[in-house]
Amino acid sequence: MTAADWARVSSDAFNAALFAYIAAMVLSFAYLAFRREGFHTASIVVGATGLVANVVSIVARGIAADRTPWGNMYEYSSLLTALIVVAYLVVVEWRYHVKTVGGFVFAFAIFTMAMAVSFFYVGPTDLQPALNSYWRQIHVTAMITASSLLGIGCLFTILYLVKLASERRAVAALGSGTPPPIVGGSVDADLDDDAPPDYVPGADEPVGSGAPAPPARRIALPPSATLDRLAYRFIQFGFPIWTFGVICGAIWAQQTWGRYWGWDPKETWSFITWTIFAGYLHARATAGWKGAKAASIALVGFVSLLITYYAVNLWIAGLHTYAT
Amino acid sequence: MRTALVLLLLLAAASAVGSLLPQIPNSPERVAAYRIAHPVVGDWFARAGFFDVFGSWWFALTLALLFVSLVACLIPRSRAMLRSIRQRPIQAREIDAFPLYREVVVPGDAVAAAGTARRVLRRHGYRVAVSDDGRAVAAEKGALREAGSLVFHWAFVVLLVAVVIGKGTGYVGHATIVEGQTWTDAAFNYDGDLRTGRFSSGAHTGIGIKLIDYSDDFRRSGVPMDFTSKVELIAPDGTPVREDDVTINHPVSFDGVRIFQFGFGWAPVVTIRDGGRILYDGPIVMGQNAPKGVNALTVPWIGFVKLTSLRPQVAIQLELYPDSVAYFGGLLSGGSPQPMTEANAPFMRYTVWQGRITDPSLTSLDTRFMHVTSSGGIGRGWTVDLSSGCVVSGGGASGLPEQVAGTACEPGHRSATSMSFPQLRQYTRLQISHDTTVPFVLGAAILILLGLIAAMYSSRRKVWVRAEARDGGTVLQVGGFALQRKDRFDEAFPKLVADMTDASTRTPIRPRQEVGAR
Repeated sequence: MTAADWARVSSDAFNAALFAYIAAMVLSFAYLAFRREGFHTASIVVGATGLVANVVSIVARGIAADRTPWGNMYEYSSLLTALIVVAYLVVVEWRYHVKTVGGFVFAFAIFTMAMAVSFFYVGPTDLQPALNSYWRQIHVTAMITASSLLGIGCLFTILYLVKLASERRAVAALGSGTPPPIVGGSVDADLDDDAPPDYVPGADEPVGSGAPAPPARRIALPPSATLDRLAYRFIQFGFPIWTFGVICGAIWAQQTWGRYWGWDPKETWSFITWTIFAGYLHARATAGWKGAKAASIALVGFVSLLITYYAVNLWIAGLHTYAT
Repeated sequence: MRTALVLLLLLAAASAVGSLLPQIPNSPERVAAYRIAHPVVGDWFARAGFFDVFGSWWFALTLALLFVSLVACLIPRSRAMLRSIRQRPIQAREIDAFPLYREVVVPGDAVAAAGTARRVLRRHGYRVAVSDDGRAVAAEKGALREAGSLVFHWAFVVLLVAVVIGKGTGYVGHATIVEGQTWTDAAFNYDGDLRTGRFSSGAHTGIGIKLIDYSDDFRRSGVPMDFTSKVELIAPDGTPVREDDVTINHPVSFDGVRIFQFGFGWAPVVTIRDGGRILYDGPIVMGQNAPKGVNALTVPWIGFVKLTSLRPQVAIQLELYPDSVAYFGGLLSGGSPQPMTEANAPFMRYTVWQGRITDPSLTSLDTRFMHVTSSGGIGRGWTVDLSSGCVVSGGGASGLPEQVAGTACEPGHRSATSMSFPQLRQYTRLQISHDTTVPFVLGAAILILLGLIAAMYSSRRKVWVRAEARDGGTVLQVGGFALQRKDRFDEAFPKLVADMTDASTRTPIRPRQEVGAR
């Protein structure tokens, strides 16, 4: 097969993956709406098929361009999507058996892929010599892995806030004078409490929710404590990798541009993102800043992550403008 | 720690401003454009230092405050850490009150069982202390958590200091060297963008860099594949030391400076004669004004010769097409100019200006007080008459498209001022930087990462054991709790107890007296 053939395979597989993810998202939301186990199973199967297509697309692209296929924003986005879906399937589905959040993860993956196709598409071409370094591969791999982990963490943070609000509403609707019985991740005494000693699955459900009949079509997200813990787990995992990626980037910059740090927009924003997530991790350990407040810091971090990933390439000129 | 965090977030906010507004050190022309477009706001921004955020006094102040706040917080934390490491774990009274608690019956006497428990705990990485009666053990582990956190924060402080010292005492600038020429590291030899740190002594190394040869390699698409400057490195006293290749991603270190490949360009050698007198003889370093979005390789190179000694003064503007075949061939066949990646029938258009020269710059010409006296074209190996524009010699054998080949002078023509273009050379732009703290910055960065991982993935755990004789055997009471990652400890604790039971059962019970008798 020629390079052009491989390029076409890559492109077709990319589209197949995109459509599979869309189908998986719809199926996952259908599971939320109708609570039929079949929808969930179908969503996972279709999503996994999409993942296979995604990986095929990445590999074919590498063969077509005859280099590691992470050299420009289009390729980063494709890799990022694959890692997001892998992390979701392995950690969330397989390790934690949380079934209800897949639709949101697929939505994020679809957004990333759609952005890649709409704004960043370039054919499989040669790289600028500056990108021709093994530090590029390490740096980019680390940054994309970290981005996908932090991204999923932030997704769970959003779901956590949604769930928290609905739990609070449910408590308020009870109209009793009982204090909000929301316990769990939000009142942990320690930095990285996985489960507080008094944590019982479902304990953060509103007290007495068993007595009044629950609304028939309530979106059944996991309890807020679980979502909070998942969010924290992902961000905690992603943060050192982000740190590592930034350090590798500095080493590469030192080799290529003669300075390890030059306040280039991408560098600046990776520092800003790092700082905000550092703030989040500290906030989790600080009394009075847990729960929703810490979550809001993570959301600011997510915005900063998106700026680092997209806005810098689209609107701010700098050395990292590989999009064009 | 909270103050430090707030200061760090302030730095992040400041850097956001720095990335959104154009910055003087990176793009002075964009700052100027911004200030023209927004005169009032721009003026305030300039006064506040928003166009040089990372060099502003308030950025430095925030950095200094961050340093003070971190150190002020870390010193007591480190002391407490050292104290707690030296301290032996303290015995507990009511072991069964801990969140995790087990009771097991093991053979042997209480003291031996407690001793076995102590060994098992040690094997699991706990620091242990045995009570005076030998029947109780207190154990804890996870000092790595606080230690890692301290390493992380101290390394961050070291990083800050190393960066400030490195940037403060170092310098970075660019050197332009034409093939065959030697450049010497001295402040006035830089391209005018030398950035010297605040605390620099201003001294330069005085080393020499001679460009032996510059070469590059492009794909047909015009995508560059490699740039290589073959250089000879010369010690400050003038002795050549060695030859080396400076390429992208492969900088060269020499005598405390690091040399990076930064850019390249063309330098036509031009001789200008006025009768028998030589007015100019040497290479002209050419630049480009490629519009945004246009492949720079398809754009001609521009350079100037300024003859300030003549009255009226004369400036010659030169426009170089290194590969005239690719450029004009593409244009004349109705297409667009092809990328000019190599020298192939190089050709220059020249314009002669007369009048008053206002600026000495070799990259631009202020034509307000000047007018054009003649213009024409010149190929490599040609000589042209600057006053009439005709070709004195060399025009015939050029291989240039007919449309650009000039007209030969009349036979017997005597030119007053002539220009010849004997050869085309290339120049390289090297970035020269002097930064002594790079290894420290790297070391600190690695420690940051190690400290971070240690702090995040270790957890503090405490375990207490008490052994009581009962019915010929011993009852082991084991209690404990984890301060972090409790679910992991929930799994680890039963295993720990099982290990103690196994060890007590398996070890042949050695009576205490036997040990004493030895």
